[in-house]
Amino acid sequence: MTHLELENLASEYLEGQLEAARRVELEAHLKDCGACRELVTDLRGVMELCNSAEDLEPAPWLIAKIMRATVGERKPTWREQVAAFFRPSPQPRVAYAVAMAIFSFSIIVNAAGLNIRKLSLSDLSPRTWFNQANRTGHLKNARVEKFYYDLRVVYEIESRFRQLRSQPSEKQETPKPETTPGGSTDRKGPDGTQLASVENLVTAAGSIGAVSKLAGKGRSPSQ
Amino acid sequence: MEPDLELVTRCLTGDNYAWEGLLRNHTRKVYNLCYRFTGRPAEAEDLTQEVFIKIFQTLKTYDVAQGAFVTWLNRVARNHLVDHYRRTKKDRITSSIEDEVGGLEEKPSPTVEPIAQLESRERREVLQRALDKLSPDLREAVILRDLQDLDYDEIAQVLGVPEGTVKSRINRGRLELARVLKRMEGMRGSAKAGGQT
Repeated sequence: MTHLELENLASEYLEGQLEAARRVELEAHLKDCGACRELVTDLRGVMELCNSAEDLEPAPWLIAKIMRATVGERKPTWREQVAAFFRPSPQPRVAYAVAMAIFSFSIIVNAAGLNIRKLSLSDLSPRTWFNQANRTGHLKNARVEKFYYDLRVVYEIESRFRQLRSQPSEKQETPKPETTPGGSTDRKGPDGTQLASVENLVTAAGSIGAVSKLAGKGRSPSQ
Repeated sequence: MEPDLELVTRCLTGDNYAWEGLLRNHTRKVYNLCYRFTGRPAEAEDLTQEVFIKIFQTLKTYDVAQGAFVTWLNRVARNHLVDHYRRTKKDRITSSIEDEVGGLEEKPSPTVEPIAQLESRERREVLQRALDKLSPDLREAVILRDLQDLDYDEIAQVLGVPEGTVKSRINRGRLELARVLKRMEGMRGSAKAGGQT
């Protein structure tokens, strides 16, 4: 086989389309001819390069452009319309806006005291919403005020008791005043005024009882 | 019935969705054929559009007896490209700023690694520059065989020449391509060596 013959058959050889006899001849020539071996190697390289070359992606709008140029604007199907409507939903800002809308709605419904499960037509009126919200607001305000005053009373009583408990110890530390011989049964004196005030407090048991109930509810046992 | 044939039949009855289906099936192939011929993405886009307009206008002349739809499509595209080549032979410019920009705007595929993408792009560009150096006859034969994966008899139908001629053109085209690539490689090597000294 000559160099020229090999050159003409090289592609068929590499594609495996050469007859067996010709292939043997060609391979025998390749064994002895370095230039032809190089040629076949180069040719194989070209084929590999072509095979490895990836296709380019056409621009995404190309099909739409050709459609417009051939059949004109196409009316989108209902599926495409639905898909187009929901297309922006995966975006975070849309999800955030929807979440905020739901949150705001729930606050309004809660403030208006509406029961979503038993909605009536009058519940949908803004006036009802306003009245309900007004009522709820006032109720909450009154509860807060009451709670504040109850706490204040409890605190005052507790501080008085604390004051009284600290009195005997002070009494022990102070020097004993001189007493008249035979002693006295008079309960009045320096301590008498304090005890009287305690008695006054105890007489206000009605209010204390009510308050202690409140204190029991409103404060923890540790306090 | 062949899927393309069914779409063609529906197209001829005025079904626009069938036409869109044909476009979806073949736009990529035709675009790449045009790109390999011209080497410019923007020009390839225009040519793809022109080819499909021609297909749309002459769809009723397609005869199943002549072969598969894709062969007919390739023949129409090839004829259009050859006409375009002849028409623009005189005023063809080797490079254009617009195409450079078009090349840069090409969107990377999100699934491929950047380095692999760069290598792939470099290989594609080298191949494209080498293909541009071939004569149109050899170039189209190599493109149809090695880049469009058409059989010899299909290429013979598309080009309207005997199968023997196709084989000869493909072989000569590959040999020429190998020489061009070697020359380019040598030039690149000497340029690198020059840069280092």
